[in-house]
Amino acid sequence: MFQATVHPHPSTVQLLLFLAPVFNAHLYRVIAKTYMRLVFTIGFIMIVASGFTQVRVLGVITDAAGAPIPGANVFLMDTYDGASSLSDGAFEFTTNENGKRMLVSKFIGYKDFQCQINLEGKDVNVKVVMEETINELDAVIITAGSFTASDASRRTVFRPLDIATTAGATADIAAALNTLPGTQKVGEQGRLFVRGGDGAETRTFIDGMMVLDAYSVSAPNTPSRGRFLPFMFKGTSFSTGGYSAEYGQALSSALVLDSKDEAESSRTDVGILSVGGDLAHTHAWKTGSAAAKIQYTNIKPYYGMINQEIDWKEPPVSTEAVAVFRQQVGKDGLLKLYGNFNRAHFSMFNHNIDDYTQKYLYDLINKYAYLNASYRTSLNEHWTVRGGASYTFLQNNTSIDKLRSDEIEKALHTKVVVDGSPSDKVELKTGVEVIQRDYQRTDSSSLALVLSNGFDESIVSGFAEADVYASNKFVTRAGIRLEYNSLLEKVSVDPRLSLAYKTSSFGQVSLAYGTFRQSPQNKWIVQNPLLYPEKAEHFILNYQSVVNNRTFRVETYYKRYDDLIKSIDGDPGYIDQQGKGYAQGIELFWRDNRSIKNVDYWVSYSFLHTKRDYLNFPYAVTPSFASAHNFSLVYKHFIKAIKSQLGFTYSYASGRPYNDPNTDKFNGSKTPSYSDLSINVAYLPKPFLIVYLSCTNITGRDNIFGYEFSRDPDNNGLYQSRPIRQPAPRFLFVGVFITISRDKSVNQLPSL
Amino acid sequence: MVILSSIIFAPVHANDTRYLEAMHKNIQSVYKAKSLDELQTAVNSLERIASAEKVKWEPYYYMSFAYILMANQEQQSARKDAYLDQANAAIEKASAINANESEIVALIGFIHMIRVTVDPVSRGAQYSGLAMQAFGKATTLNPENPRALALTAQMQHGTAKFFGSPITDACTTVDAALQKFDTYKSDNPLAPQWGREMAIGLKKECN
Repeated sequence: MFQATVHPHPSTVQLLLFLAPVFNAHLYRVIAKTYMRLVFTIGFIMIVASGFTQVRVLGVITDAAGAPIPGANVFLMDTYDGASSLSDGAFEFTTNENGKRMLVSKFIGYKDFQCQINLEGKDVNVKVVMEETINELDAVIITAGSFTASDASRRTVFRPLDIATTAGATADIAAALNTLPGTQKVGEQGRLFVRGGDGAETRTFIDGMMVLDAYSVSAPNTPSRGRFLPFMFKGTSFSTGGYSAEYGQALSSALVLDSKDEAESSRTDVGILSVGGDLAHTHAWKTGSAAAKIQYTNIKPYYGMINQEIDWKEPPVSTEAVAVFRQQVGKDGLLKLYGNFNRAHFSMFNHNIDDYTQKYLYDLINKYAYLNASYRTSLNEHWTVRGGASYTFLQNNTSIDKLRSDEIEKALHTKVVVDGSPSDKVELKTGVEVIQRDYQRTDSSSLALVLSNGFDESIVSGFAEADVYASNKFVTRAGIRLEYNSLLEKVSVDPRLSLAYKTSSFGQVSLAYGTFRQSPQNKWIVQNPLLYPEKAEHFILNYQSVVNNRTFRVETYYKRYDDLIKSIDGDPGYIDQQGKGYAQGIELFWRDNRSIKNVDYWVSYSFLHTKRDYLNFPYAVTPSFASAHNFSLVYKHFIKAIKSQLGFTYSYASGRPYNDPNTDKFNGSKTPSYSDLSINVAYLPKPFLIVYLSCTNITGRDNIFGYEFSRDPDNNGLYQSRPIRQPAPRFLFVGVFITISRDKSVNQLPSL
Repeated sequence: MVILSSIIFAPVHANDTRYLEAMHKNIQSVYKAKSLDELQTAVNSLERIASAEKVKWEPYYYMSFAYILMANQEQQSARKDAYLDQANAAIEKASAINANESEIVALIGFIHMIRVTVDPVSRGAQYSGLAMQAFGKATTLNPENPRALALTAQMQHGTAKFFGSPITDACTTVDAALQKFDTYKSDNPLAPQWGREMAIGLKKECN
């Protein structure tokens, strides 16, 4: 009011301006000066005047539950005037502003608070209630069934680097994940067997796209390795059940791998290995990168040195080429292309169990190509779209004695997904995908009898899923997956549901339920194209607590199998889907990389009880790939003085059932328990040079995975047996990895 | 027109003094703060200044710097990251105002460097590269900036220690940094002054 009285009347200004051109320059200057003096005087008066109208703003800042928030910043918008709240949430400040103003309150973990206040000479009392934000750091996460390893996320239990540095795994993803709870050791296969599930029940996805046959070929009863090297990926999510509706065609487990975005710098990597070598070059530019790698593996020299259980004619030789391309498109788009091409060959002699001198040749040529293209871009601040296509080509030419079989499988997977978060409390994901598979198999014998079989399968799926946060403490994920199968002309509906609740700032409980389906294996569909997918239902309860780099996890589950392939009256020529089964168990995990300096270790224990009545089983028994107790201890120690990381992995698995035809009970016999102590050393003499040495089973323990029996009984009516052993007591691996780059501190450590 | 513009300009000069005074006070608070609470109070004051002074990069710069100090004090790694996120958000605002300020680019590198310390084994490769890139850019923008050099030396030192290699590179850089600390005078009265102590501490390891 005071201000209004001293302010010049607008018409005075207008008049002066209007008249200005009429006056001469001198007069103009005089008037201008006079007016300016007036303005300064008024300005001065205004400052003094407002000094007398100082107003106190005070109040309390609390969260929605009424708890005080100390340290919050409360102030008048666009001014210096404000204060920090004290330990009881109270604040107080004075201001010379007046009239209607916006009061703002800000603090980490809370949404900005704003309200209009009226400053008119009296104290203003404000009650500020701040709403928490749903943020990555504090929000509960669904941990039931899943182990996530990612560079980006800070709360992961497992890191991508852990995969590379686990002793005994020799940088194989599956082997490293085999030290986590929920997996069973099946030493003669090397695949991931999860919770009473067969190795084929675990499905691998790269950038959301399905991979058919993620393992390189291996001789019967020898472990295979994953085709994809861990260094390619920035994130790994290994789910042992209850996974998202986005992933189908997997009964037991989903291994979701996210490949790295563009490379940071140009570099050349050379690897000299005891079993071959590799050469890779990466070229990076501002908005993208391209990389290529060739690898040659020949185990021949190695097998020459160490006596093998296997009578090789030609030990495995493999040539692999990998190409990667990354390009940013526009501001938010990213295009990724990946290709993996492999040719592998080996041949070996199988000896007759009854008469070792009788042998026949087993020869396999495998050709493999995997192409993956994916693109993602953001539509706006809240929505992103991603899509892609993957193509797998797989050819196996097998000769067993005089029988020859040629298999060709081609699969095309295309997918489009829209992700969005309309508010910070809701995340939505919805998409469609098409999987087209073509499988052909030709069997021929020397009698020129040729038998051809095959099928064409198309699966069209749609899924939708929503994560809804009630608060940072409670989240619900509900999803649904629809699948239409062209061979059956039928639609299946699979619900998935997960809940997670934070019990304290460190601990949380999760629950998960879902139904999962997977087409039967090719050999069964060939026999009967009208087979419908096998089905599993998961029920999972999990507790996890993470306190300062110490993780404790306990999980219990029940899994029910339905519609499993079963031969009628034990005749494999006639199959239906009356097979059933279940698995249940409890799993413990403890990881600590804090208590002992430079030491990181984890311990896993899994108890599994499972039975199934499927295939040629006469009744429900524990299948031979399932062991009741599995234990792993992984230990890593970085010793600066010798510039080395030393590590060991100890694994134990209790005996597995096998069927002894000399007894009445089906699958009633048990192998001895399995144990293995592996060690590794990574030595970094120079930042760009790594020398890596690893040895599995250093004690040379003779692990027996099962027994093979002769087809017919001998003269005494006994079936002769032969144990299935490790191909060699130890696997010794030595590698030298050199990185050539402009920045000499870059090395292959992240890729080892 | 002259009249109108005089109305607009007059208060700006008054405000500039006010801005400089308020900034001086709060910059000193940041340098002297010992506890997380003191730093948070300083950050809050700077944030208020920033809200009123839309075209000034300095309030955001010192907010970011204070958050880095908070991250350094914090023991729990998840909280450390949360402070670094805040530091990053603040320096991005500073950068939006003045993208070619060497001090801002150096501070971006500093944030990356502290990210490395949270988990050197798994973050080293990515963030040490990003940190060195930022320090390199900061030095290119202003070769006289002693902080860009001191931080480079710190990073070289950390990397050498991690790999157990000699720290000669770090020592050469820290000598250059110390020289620049003596000679470099910015014409900005609010220019950063910190870093000399850090460089002296590092220099001691070279002897």
